[in-house]
Amino acid sequence: MLAPYEVTRSPHLTLAVRGSLDINTAPALAEEVDRIMANRPPAITVDLGALELIDSSGVAALVKLYKAIRAAGGTITFVNTRDQPLAIFKLLKMDRVFGI
Amino acid sequence: MTAPIRLSVPGTLAYRAVAVRVVAEAARLVSSSKRREPDNPLTVDVTDPFDTAVVSAFMEIFNNIALHAYSAATGTIELAITPGERQLTIEIADTGAPFDMTTVTPLPDVTADALPEGGMGIHIATAMLDEVSYQPGPPNRWRLLKRS
Repeated sequence: MLAPYEVTRSPHLTLAVRGSLDINTAPALAEEVDRIMANRPPAITVDLGALELIDSSGVAALVKLYKAIRAAGGTITFVNTRDQPLAIFKLLKMDRVFGI
Repeated sequence: MTAPIRLSVPGTLAYRAVAVRVVAEAARLVSSSKRREPDNPLTVDVTDPFDTAVVSAFMEIFNNIALHAYSAATGTIELAITPGERQLTIEIADTGAPFDMTTVTPLPDVTADALPEGGMGIHIATAMLDEVSYQPGPPNRWRLLKRS
């Protein structure tokens, strides 16, 4: 199965999430979040432009990342959120928190 | 009334994507939405608000059944999906442990310092649909309805 994410570090640390981030794929992303946070990055961009579907487990994985970055004093920026994922963030009122 | 689309899948997460694809296509029969990428069968391609609501809610209910109803047992998930002229009904039956709806608590106010990491699934389903009902069994029966 294709990983639900891709991490690039140049020029900025970016986590691109794609496909379906759900109860089946979110655990892999949560593990990547642990690897990302091991380096205590000062900032990260989360690109959701290729994310088709998200469920509550996927939301939880992104919330974990959001909390970890903030707890480490870093900043996190969500970009390109669209369609079903955007509807879910709005429904949960997380769009305001995430600056979407 | 259109005859229901019937699907029976093992009640595990491995079969979730199959069920989600069928539900997405059934929603499209009601919304008349077009696939953005008609030649790419690998995408679920949900962009229409009606399709979004139906698929989002269904994914959460399927998760709930596979994770909780069948946490200690195996069984099937029986779907009867009825596309109508202006609505879609999804009836879901399982023979797992019944779900206690009274355990669903309201979502807290979301702030940067208080973001929930769980307990969101049933809220997503009920907020996205016009009707969500649950009858503990066996079999346990969910009925989801979305009007266009």
